[in-house]
Amino acid sequence: MKTEQEFSLNIMSLPSKPQFQNFIDAFEIGKMGTYFWNSAFVSLFTVIFTILFGFFTAYILARFKFPFRNVIYFMFLTGMLIPIHGLLIPIFIEFKALGLLNKHVTLIFPYVAFNLSMAIFLFENFIKTVPLDVEEAAVIDGSSSTNTVLRIVLPLCMPVISTAVILFFLGAWNEFPFALVLIESANLRTLPIGLTNFNGQYTANYTQMLAAMAIVVLPVIIVYLAFSKKVMQGMTAGAVKG
Amino acid sequence: MNDSSAIRPKRVTFLIYLLPSVILFAFMVLVPVILAVRYSFFNWSGGPKMDFIGLENYMTLLTDSYFWNAFLNNLLIVFFSVFGQIGIAFVISIFLMSKVVKLKGFHRTVIFIPVVLSSVVIGFLWGMIYNQDAGMLNWFLQTIGLESWIKPWLDDPSLVMYSVTVPIVWQYIGFYLIIFLAAMQSINNEVYEMAELDGATGFKKMRYITLPLLSSTIKIAIMLCIAGNMKAFDSIFVMTGGGPGSSSTVMAQYAYDTSFKAYKLGYGSTISVGIMVLSVGLIIISQLFGGKNRA
Repeated sequence: MKTEQEFSLNIMSLPSKPQFQNFIDAFEIGKMGTYFWNSAFVSLFTVIFTILFGFFTAYILARFKFPFRNVIYFMFLTGMLIPIHGLLIPIFIEFKALGLLNKHVTLIFPYVAFNLSMAIFLFENFIKTVPLDVEEAAVIDGSSSTNTVLRIVLPLCMPVISTAVILFFLGAWNEFPFALVLIESANLRTLPIGLTNFNGQYTANYTQMLAAMAIVVLPVIIVYLAFSKKVMQGMTAGAVKG
Repeated sequence: MNDSSAIRPKRVTFLIYLLPSVILFAFMVLVPVILAVRYSFFNWSGGPKMDFIGLENYMTLLTDSYFWNAFLNNLLIVFFSVFGQIGIAFVISIFLMSKVVKLKGFHRTVIFIPVVLSSVVIGFLWGMIYNQDAGMLNWFLQTIGLESWIKPWLDDPSLVMYSVTVPIVWQYIGFYLIIFLAAMQSINNEVYEMAELDGATGFKKMRYITLPLLSSTIKIAIMLCIAGNMKAFDSIFVMTGGGPGSSSTVMAQYAYDTSFKAYKLGYGSTISVGIMVLSVGLIIISQLFGGKNRA
């Protein structure tokens, strides 16, 4: 909230007169508005699809025996071990061949896939603790299986799902390397990439950059302070159980 | 696992539940791994021309001093992180568990904040702190009269790796802190009370009760630390871009440069395979090492 001049004179002092010009500049010159919208779009759909796919798959894996069940389960577990940074270049090649680079939806594919392991792991563990009797009773009362899952199992899983929502939102919002590699068009960039624009080779406008950083960080801080317990639980859930 | 035929959905529903994740996951994780292995045998720059060169890329990789330098940089980060993050987090968690500290929830919340922030933001913040002319670190050193300590933190090839490691260590202390706190809270209080009756003091309690009981948690933390830091990229990319020269290049950065700046996608794939093999190998080694300790 300081002017550039004031900043260069003394970085630690408080602003003599708070002003919001830097924020306005960040939005107008730095296109932070567009990036903000892109980030929100990608994060939102990442969360929705991860939860949706993850939940149903976890339900099947938790409840039933079937051929290749263990193969599939193991496959998702290895997803937590594979260093995804090693996949950066091959995914770029794959997306290039398929013409999937530079789309609004581009980033949603890798984000959902990389979150799936964690989602399935969390949900599967939780669904196992839900007593089977409730579902059986519902089916005996004539409820279809889809109905049972949606009306009974899903609501029971709300605590773990809400944790997962926050976790995946934060992850998608902050993700950097894939957004860097898979998106070239300036209009489709997400916030973290947009930030790097402020770091020109020869010019560095610190006050604008700080304003832009505030824009990136603010939603995260708000979500975090509102749900700090859940965030901590979620982020360390895999670790403690692992 | 329970298998109840009563609630088993129809075959079609069953597959609809299961398949989207499996297909997407295979498409985004398994296919790229296979592709990486395949392209690693080619000399390819993204165009239609691809030369099969067999194992040549791998031979190059084995003798590529840049790659191994990058690997050493990764190891350096891992080394400092294992001692820095886990050590500091352990010490803080002991303080937070003791009766001396007030406002425990507040401390925990504040220490955890950097974990949820984007590494890019962390990179920028520390980039500003390190800035030679206007950075806070040099400003601070000047203010307390240590002008001789003023350094170009991010431009000195011999210093830069240490400079970029500090933010990484700092960022994730909160993460391990929460893990340790959760584990320490699960230790039965009676154990400490018994020890106190037997005359154990604060340090002895820590050394002979907390540490042994937490050993499995610490092992998991070390493994997470290794896995997490092998993929260090974001904040270094923002702070230095791997420079000056290649002094702060990590493996992911090197793969990125090779593929997108030099357009050697074939060799880039080889590096990717190298990263995967080295990372998984390191994790397995750390597990074996941990397993031996347990016995």
